[in-house]
Amino acid sequence: MNETPLWASESFWKKTAIWVTAVSFVILIVLTMDSLSQTTAGGKRVPAYAVINKKIDYQFNKELNKSVPVIGEDEFLFGKQMTEQEAAELVDLGKKTAQTRNCMNCHTILGNGAYFAPDLTKAWLDQGWLSKDLREDLMVKFLMNPESNARTFGSNRKMPNLGITEQEARGLVAFLKWMSSIDTNGFPYNFKTIEAEE
Amino acid sequence: MIEPVALKDFFITFFSSALIILAGAAYALLFAWSKVNAHIGIKIAALASYAVLIASVLELTRAAQFQGYWLIISVAMGVGYFFAPIGIWHLCVKTHEQSVDTPIKTKIQEDEQ
Amino acid sequence: MNTTQLDDVIPKPASVLDKARRLLNDFKVWVNLDSGNLTAGQQLAVKYFTVAMILFVAQILFGLLSALQFIYPDFLYGILDFNVNRMVHINAMIVWMLYGFIGSIYWLIEDESGTDIVGLKWANIAFWVLTGAVTLVVLVYLFIQIGPGKDSSLWFINEGREYIEAPRWADLGITAVMLVFSYNVVATFSKGKWSGIAGVLTLDLIALIGLYLAGMFYMTNITHDQYWWWWVIHLWVEATWEVLVGVIMAWSLIKLLGARRKIVQTWLYIEVALMFGSGILGLGHHYFWIGMPEYWLSVGGFFSALEPIPLVAMVVHAIYDSGVHAFKTVNHPALAWVIAHAFGNFFGAGVWGFMHTLPQINLYTHGTQWSASHGHLSFFGAYATINIAFFYLAIQHWRGNVWMAAGTRHAWRWKWALGLLNAGVVGMTVALLIAGYEQSFIERAVEGSTWAGYFAAQNQPSFQHAMNWRMIFGLVTAAGLGLLVWDLLTIGKYEERKAEKIVVH
Repeated sequence: MNETPLWASESFWKKTAIWVTAVSFVILIVLTMDSLSQTTAGGKRVPAYAVINKKIDYQFNKELNKSVPVIGEDEFLFGKQMTEQEAAELVDLGKKTAQTRNCMNCHTILGNGAYFAPDLTKAWLDQGWLSKDLREDLMVKFLMNPESNARTFGSNRKMPNLGITEQEARGLVAFLKWMSSIDTNGFPYNFKTIEAEE
Repeated sequence: MIEPVALKDFFITFFSSALIILAGAAYALLFAWSKVNAHIGIKIAALASYAVLIASVLELTRAAQFQGYWLIISVAMGVGYFFAPIGIWHLCVKTHEQSVDTPIKTKIQEDEQ
Repeated sequence: MNTTQLDDVIPKPASVLDKARRLLNDFKVWVNLDSGNLTAGQQLAVKYFTVAMILFVAQILFGLLSALQFIYPDFLYGILDFNVNRMVHINAMIVWMLYGFIGSIYWLIEDESGTDIVGLKWANIAFWVLTGAVTLVVLVYLFIQIGPGKDSSLWFINEGREYIEAPRWADLGITAVMLVFSYNVVATFSKGKWSGIAGVLTLDLIALIGLYLAGMFYMTNITHDQYWWWWVIHLWVEATWEVLVGVIMAWSLIKLLGARRKIVQTWLYIEVALMFGSGILGLGHHYFWIGMPEYWLSVGGFFSALEPIPLVAMVVHAIYDSGVHAFKTVNHPALAWVIAHAFGNFFGAGVWGFMHTLPQINLYTHGTQWSASHGHLSFFGAYATINIAFFYLAIQHWRGNVWMAAGTRHAWRWKWALGLLNAGVVGMTVALLIAGYEQSFIERAVEGSTWAGYFAAQNQPSFQHAMNWRMIFGLVTAAGLGLLVWDLLTIGKYEERKAEKIVVH
C-alpha cells in the first residue's frame, strides 16, 4: 500500500479546518461591521426614531420588485411632535415592554418568535385598526385591556391581560410605528396597508 | 434582486427542493454502494438518482425564478452533488488505507456468509 | 377549627420532608444503581444526565399544554398563557440538551486525557449552582411571568427574547458555570494528554461561550437586536453544537466500536471544515427579512445550498464503513438511537431545512408553522437522539458494563420507546408541515400577510385538523418518553452477563 497522500492526511485536514473556520469567521466579521453600520437607527434602512412623527406607508415598488417603506408628511403620534431624544425614549420603553411582557412567545417580530398570534412587523399599518383616526386610540386601549377589546377575528384566541400601563402602551405603539418603517426587503409579501384602503 | 415564487408554483418549489436533497443523498448512497458491490444495477440506479437530481434542480430553477447570479446555485448543486460523493469516497479510501489489510470485496463476502 | 384538627389536615413540614426522603430512598433501592461502577467524572456526568431527563419531561409537558391551547384557547387562559408554556417548552429543550452535552464531556474527558478531572470540586459546585439557577429561572417564569418595561425586569424576570429568555443574572451565572466547565476540560487535558479531539473540543467550547455573550445585551434597535440574537441561536445549533456532537461521536467511535484514532480524528477535522465552512455564513438565511442589507439574500441562499454537503459526506462514509468493517456493537439501544440520529438529522436539518430556506420561497414561509415543523424534526433528529444514545451508554456502565446487545431482558421497552418517540415527532412534523403550507399559502400569498389574513389561515379547517393531529402525535411522543424513562431506570437491572470486549480495528 502507498503512503497516505497529503490531501487525505490528518495534518492537512487539521490545517484546512482551521483555515476554513478562520476565513469564514473573518468574512462574517467584515459583513457584520458593514451590516451594523448600514442598519444604525437614522440610516436608510432603519430610520431614526423621530420617524414616528411622520406618516408611514408600505408600498410595492415596481423598479425594485418589492414592497418598500414610504415616509410621508408629518403625522404626529398622540398629537405631539417629538424630538429624536423623546422619540427614542418612547420607542425604548416600547421595546423593553415588548421584551418583559414576552410578546415574542406568542407573536412574531420581524417574522421571528411564536406562531400563536399575528406578526407584528407591520402591525402599525394593519387594516385591522379600521381607520387611521381611530388607530392610536384603539391600539392603546387594546394593549391595556385586550380582553374587553378583544380582536379575535373569529378564532377564540384572545390576548391575555398583561398589566400594560398607559405609558407602556404608548411606548409599544411608538415601537410598532417605528418598526413598520424598517426596510425588510419586501417582507411581508403583498401586504395591503391601512393607507391603501383610503 | 429576487423574484418571489409564483402562487401556482408553491407546491413544486417545496417538492423539488426536497427532492434535490433526497436524490442527492440517494445518489451518494448508491454510488458508494456500487463501489463496494460491483453490481451494474446499482450503478444504473445511482445514475438514475442523479438524473432525478438534475431534473429537480432544473425545476427549482424555473419555479424559484432564478436569474443572473442565482443560476450559480443551480450549477453548483448540479456539479457539487455529482462530484462530492466521488471525492468523499476517495477520501474514505485514502484515510483508511493503512488499516485495510484485506481487499474490500473479500470482506463483504465474509460478511454475507 | 382548633389546632388539632388543622394538624390532621395540614401535615407538618418535617413529616413531609421525612416522607420525601423515604420515597427517595425507596426509589434508590428500586433502581438499584451502584455508583461504584463509575469514575468521579462519570458520577458527575450522570447527575447532569438525570437533570437532563427531568427537563426533557418538562419540555414535553409544556409542549403538550401549548399544543392544547391551539385547540382550546381558553385552556389555562390568564393562568399559564401560551407564551409562558411555550417559553418553558423551548427553554427546557435548550437546557436539557446542553446538560446532556456537558454530561457527555465530563463522561469522556478522564478517559480521553488519561487522568482524573482537575478541579472536580469546582465542577460539582458548578453543577449545583447551574441546577439551582435553572430551577429558580423556571419558577420565576411560571409564577412571576412578566414584569414592567424596565431594566430590572430584564435582569431578574425575563429578557423576552425567544430561546434566550433567561434573565441577565442567570446569563452571568450560566457563563460562570461554563467557564468552570471549560477550566475542567482544559486543565484536565493539560495535566493528562492532549489529542485532536481535545483540541477541537476546547476551541468549540470557547466559541460556544463567546457566542452566548453576544446574546446578553439590550438594544433598542430591533434590527441589531435580532442580528446578534441569531449569532447565538444559529451559531450554536448549526455550528458549535454540531461540532460538539462530532466530538462526542468521535470519542464514542474509538471507544465503543474500536475505530482507529487517526482515522476518526482526520474525519473530525473534515467534519469541522464542512460544518463551519457552510454553517458560519449559512447564518445569512436568518438575515433576509430583519432589516439587513440585501446581500444577505445571496449569502444566505448560497451557503444554505451547501449545508447539506456534510450530510452527504456522512452517507458515503457510513456505506464505506459498513463495507470495510464488520463492527460489533455491545449496546443495541444506543446504536438504534444513533441510526435514528442519522435519519433525523438528514431529514430534519437537510430536507426540511432546504425546502423553505431560499429567499424566493422563504418570503412566504418565514414566521409560519413551517419553522415549527422544521424545528421539531431537526432538534429531535440532530440533538435529542444523540443525547439519548449517550444516556444508554452511561446506564450500561452504571450497571457495571452489563450485556445490552441481542437478548436483553424487556427489550420491547426500549424498542417501543424508540418507535413511539420517533413516530410522535415525525407525526408532529408532518402535521405542522401541513399547517405551515396552508398558512404560508393563505395568509401570506393570497391574503397579503395582514392580521385578517393570519386569522383566515388559522381558522381554516385544514389548519385546525393539523393542530389536532399535532396534539395526538404529541401524546404519542409523551408516551414514548414515559417508556424511555422507565427503560433507562430498569434496563440491565438483573443482567448478569457482561458486555463483550471491544477490539480495535
